[in-house]
Amino acid sequence: MSSEIICGTNISKVYATATGPLVALDDVSFGVEEGEFISLVGPSGCGKSTLLSILGGLEDRSLGHLDIAGKPADSPRPDVGMMFQTSVLFPWRTIRENVRLPGQILKLDKARQKQRTEELLDMVGLNGFGDRYPGELSGGMRQRVGLARLLAHDPRILMMDEPFGALDEFTRETMNLELLRIWEATRKTVIFVTHNIGEAVFLSDRVFVMTPRPGRLEGIVEIDLPRPRTTGIMRDPRYSELVFEIRRMLGVDH
Amino acid sequence: MTMTDTTRVPGTTAQTSARQGDAITRFIEDDRRRARRELITNRLLALGFGVFVLLVWAVATHGGFVHSLIIPTPIATLEASGRVMSADYFLPNVWVTLQEIFWGFVIGMAAGAILGILVAMFAPVRATLYPYLVALQAPPKIVLAPIFITWFGFDMESKIAISVVMCFFPMFLNTLTGLSSVDPNAIKLMRSLTANRWQTFRHLLLPNAAPIMMAGVKLCWTLAVLGVIVGEFVGASAGIGYLIYAMNFQLDIPAVFFLIILLSLFTLIVYQLIEWLENRVVFWTSL
Repeated sequence: MSSEIICGTNISKVYATATGPLVALDDVSFGVEEGEFISLVGPSGCGKSTLLSILGGLEDRSLGHLDIAGKPADSPRPDVGMMFQTSVLFPWRTIRENVRLPGQILKLDKARQKQRTEELLDMVGLNGFGDRYPGELSGGMRQRVGLARLLAHDPRILMMDEPFGALDEFTRETMNLELLRIWEATRKTVIFVTHNIGEAVFLSDRVFVMTPRPGRLEGIVEIDLPRPRTTGIMRDPRYSELVFEIRRMLGVDH
Repeated sequence: MTMTDTTRVPGTTAQTSARQGDAITRFIEDDRRRARRELITNRLLALGFGVFVLLVWAVATHGGFVHSLIIPTPIATLEASGRVMSADYFLPNVWVTLQEIFWGFVIGMAAGAILGILVAMFAPVRATLYPYLVALQAPPKIVLAPIFITWFGFDMESKIAISVVMCFFPMFLNTLTGLSSVDPNAIKLMRSLTANRWQTFRHLLLPNAAPIMMAGVKLCWTLAVLGVIVGEFVGASAGIGYLIYAMNFQLDIPAVFFLIILLSLFTLIVYQLIEWLENRVVFWTSL
């Protein structure tokens, strides 16, 4: 219990709709250890994005309790960084200025941020692109910028809502490797939302399997594959076993 | 065989790549030449059409197909331009209209932008004013011209007022639309970074609205001119609109034609200037 950085108990979310109340999340409880890589996986409508929004303080929960770093969490906080399916770069800012946005908003030390921006651009392989504008970059490169911006103010927890969902398969794979490399180096706590089971198994320490109508946490699958991981791990029989176990839990095996 | 092949490879590769480089250079040059030719063709087409219209005008008037009281000849119009421009009433009248347009444009635009920002950013302001602003937008603003003359008199103030009312609404609506049409994920990002309202406005909403606001500025410009000229038609003692009205009354149609052309050219040139500025302000829309 003591090392749990996120602790959610009996979290529910109900929306009032024209046709009556809609239960988006039904009594979800879980704990996340510091430095863990967690994936939330499930089909659309299972509430995984809603749960992420609640964890990030962007949405209120209807019921339940949420602690982050030992304190009740109800609003956005600088130690939680968020990334979305679209890169959400500001087209009027250069790549460098986009990465510096969090530092600017949080009024962090300018000289320190300047140096950090260059380190981050280096880290995501965008050295030399700092003066370009987002409109001049490909989708994959833009998400790299998004990744650099996510890390700019050094948040303890990274919340990623299908960050590579809009990318093609090859780019997505590259980005996953990149993300793992960065995670190995920084050991931040990651909550990663995806509907791609393979991606979830490849990346995570544990996979939270969610089912829809109403959104429930069906079960938690421990991913006991060795680290550091490369794409070669997909040939491991254990990898397939885990993928199929999750498929079975989701009821998508016919 | 294999041996000789491998030994030849370096030389062959170098030659091939050199030849390929030549081909690429030639290809790029061809492409550029084609683009230039297309540009010239387009310019010539536009120019040709202008000359054609001028010719039709000349033939129709000089040939006696249209009475010179209805449409003057190009020569007569040119002659009138010299006559009007050298008259001592010309510059004072132009100066009056220029001032009216400038103040109408600037005040109307500023009022539209400021009120747009207030309505977009403050819910109580929106709730209070928005229904009325939308209702006021419906009637054609021209109907206010006579009453404004009554209120503000025959001098510049009344024309400025009409002009302000004309360009207020497009600027107001474009500002409001621009500030509201923002990627919800961008808002989420700003919230997750604990940005306050002012930071969200300055770093996200305002630059995001800039392209639509610039479109509003262009609309404002043509409407500001329109408002001033209509105002001068309805009641004025000076200005280009007043001159057009007076000369039309005296059946000096060539002078009227010249003034219309002058006014059109002025409006167009400033419009182009705004467009040039727009391309620099919201440069990212073309990236």
